[in-house]
Amino acid sequence: MIEARDISVNIAGKRIVGGVDFEARPGEVAAIVGPNGSGKTTFLKALSGELAYTGRVILNGRDLSAMKPVETAVHRAVLPQATTLSFPFTVREVVKLGLVGGRSGALPGEDARLPERALARVDLDGFAGRFYQELSGGEQQRVQLARVLCQVWAPVLDGKPRYLFLDEPVSSLDIKHQLIIMNIARDFARRGGGVVAILHDLNLTSMYADRIFVMHRGRLAATGSPQDVLSDELIDKVFDCRLRVGVLPAGNMPFVLPQSAA
Amino acid sequence: MVDQSIAGPVKVMANASEGDRSGRARIVILLLCLGLVAAALLSLTSGASDASAVNVLSDWLLGAVPNDAALSARDSLIVYDIRLPRIILGMLVGAALAVSGAVMQGLFRNPLADPGLIGVSAGSSLGAVAVIVLGTTVLAPVTALFGTLALPLAAFFGGLATTLVLYQVATRRGQTSVAAMLLAGIALAALAMALTGILIFMADDRQLRDLTFWSLGSLGGATWAKIGSVGPIIILALAAMPFLARGLNALALGEATAGHLGIPVQRLKYTAIIGVSAAVGASVAVSGGIGFVGIVVPHLLRLLIGPDNRYLLPASALLGASLLLLADAVARTIVAPAELPIGIVTAIAGAPFFLWILLRKRGVVDL
Repeated sequence: MIEARDISVNIAGKRIVGGVDFEARPGEVAAIVGPNGSGKTTFLKALSGELAYTGRVILNGRDLSAMKPVETAVHRAVLPQATTLSFPFTVREVVKLGLVGGRSGALPGEDARLPERALARVDLDGFAGRFYQELSGGEQQRVQLARVLCQVWAPVLDGKPRYLFLDEPVSSLDIKHQLIIMNIARDFARRGGGVVAILHDLNLTSMYADRIFVMHRGRLAATGSPQDVLSDELIDKVFDCRLRVGVLPAGNMPFVLPQSAA
Repeated sequence: MVDQSIAGPVKVMANASEGDRSGRARIVILLLCLGLVAAALLSLTSGASDASAVNVLSDWLLGAVPNDAALSARDSLIVYDIRLPRIILGMLVGAALAVSGAVMQGLFRNPLADPGLIGVSAGSSLGAVAVIVLGTTVLAPVTALFGTLALPLAAFFGGLATTLVLYQVATRRGQTSVAAMLLAGIALAALAMALTGILIFMADDRQLRDLTFWSLGSLGGATWAKIGSVGPIIILALAAMPFLARGLNALALGEATAGHLGIPVQRLKYTAIIGVSAAVGASVAVSGGIGFVGIVVPHLLRLLIGPDNRYLLPASALLGASLLLLADAVARTIVAPAELPIGIVTAIAGAPFFLWILLRKRGVVDL
């Protein structure tokens, strides 16, 4: 369980996040949505210990501010929006970096095979020998997800749930891989872990999230299940768009929703 | 962005361990060990004098009495008291410079970082020159207190101060700007050289002779005593570096991500900076400014075995030691019986190489 109370973050004297309460529970996918600049990424960085914050974050019963990097790395793995590399590592070498903390939670002796298995899960079979810097943005993003999966391979370790923090995990992916990645997140939660994901696609959000946190101008605008939160009024207020939820397009205008995936 | 030069020539690798270069790295390290032995033997047997190390070695191994006892005694003196300390010092300095280059490149997340290029060596020189010129006057208490260690210590603190300032200037929120790093390095080197210039202006004739080798670099002053004072510092610094390898690998993903993986990033950075300053400071204290070893060696090895620091750091130590021995052999023999400063040899070989890296990397190294 992750509990964050009254989280505020100031950067260069400007309040980016103010008074946010947040919870991530094992077995659930928690989605953070909101317009650009609403403080989603900043909040996730506070939650992962990367940025200084005021308030209190409890990670599996311990105060985050009292934990060392090597300890937090056991409980959660973080996928940033994009990762550039300074040296020509191969895909396998990048994915193996996820094992640097040594607590993947895989059975003894299995760590050596995890990079292969993680790459297969993100649909990058056969990419192990390629150079990371030669891949497309979407492929790089999936390599990083494979690395993150290696770090917390077992969703539960020593009886405690572990968490995936995903910052826009599907933003640069085609629709097939969006579904693959969201299913990985769903599966991680089903097996007892927790997921915190920043998402932009409201359809994917309503399809995969158990709970939505809507951020607006650094504050929490709404919390709850997709059914409760995604309303015409909220979308108008937060996204400044007069959209209507659940209305089919007129005439023969084609539309494709991820929910229709067989 | 596709960059052929950093990708190297090898596109497709063996099947089962595709993308795993650790096996190849181990073989390369083994070959580098043999290469270092060969380079050391070559250095031992070549030089301005016709003293034959082969004779001395066979003396030593077989206990054979050579035909001319007087000549053998002279040979033995040249080999044990001149060539051998020079070879050991050359290996220590070459390893220290190459490993320092590799560690700085990992720390700055940039393949162009090099202690010589970005002012760290200049800072170390300033410290060393200060002790040479002011050692009998203003700094007399310091030299009295630390004895032969005063010189390497001063070089260490000079290098440390430069590296700390450089890191503060070049790094903002975990991202290092290449342009800021190189430009700050130029400014710091210029400042250190100006201050060194003031000291040289104050120096007397005897000190000036001591100082000449600083600007060019030389292993000519190698003695067992010098090895005794800087050897332990370099060995200690080199011994600490392998413990940084995993952290430096993770740092290639950025400071934030390295932290998320469980690496204590602050401690890693400060250990690396202190280790590099100690190794470079000690090297500069005994051999002056020998450039380009720190950039050429790790770059060549990355093309060969990849950027994994667990293999790159030991391989850099071995190749750096070998290359410096070869450069020193050239410096000793090319204008014999006179001697070329080794810094000239490494610059003549290294500077074009550096330009070649820049040409091939244009577009990737973003300035």
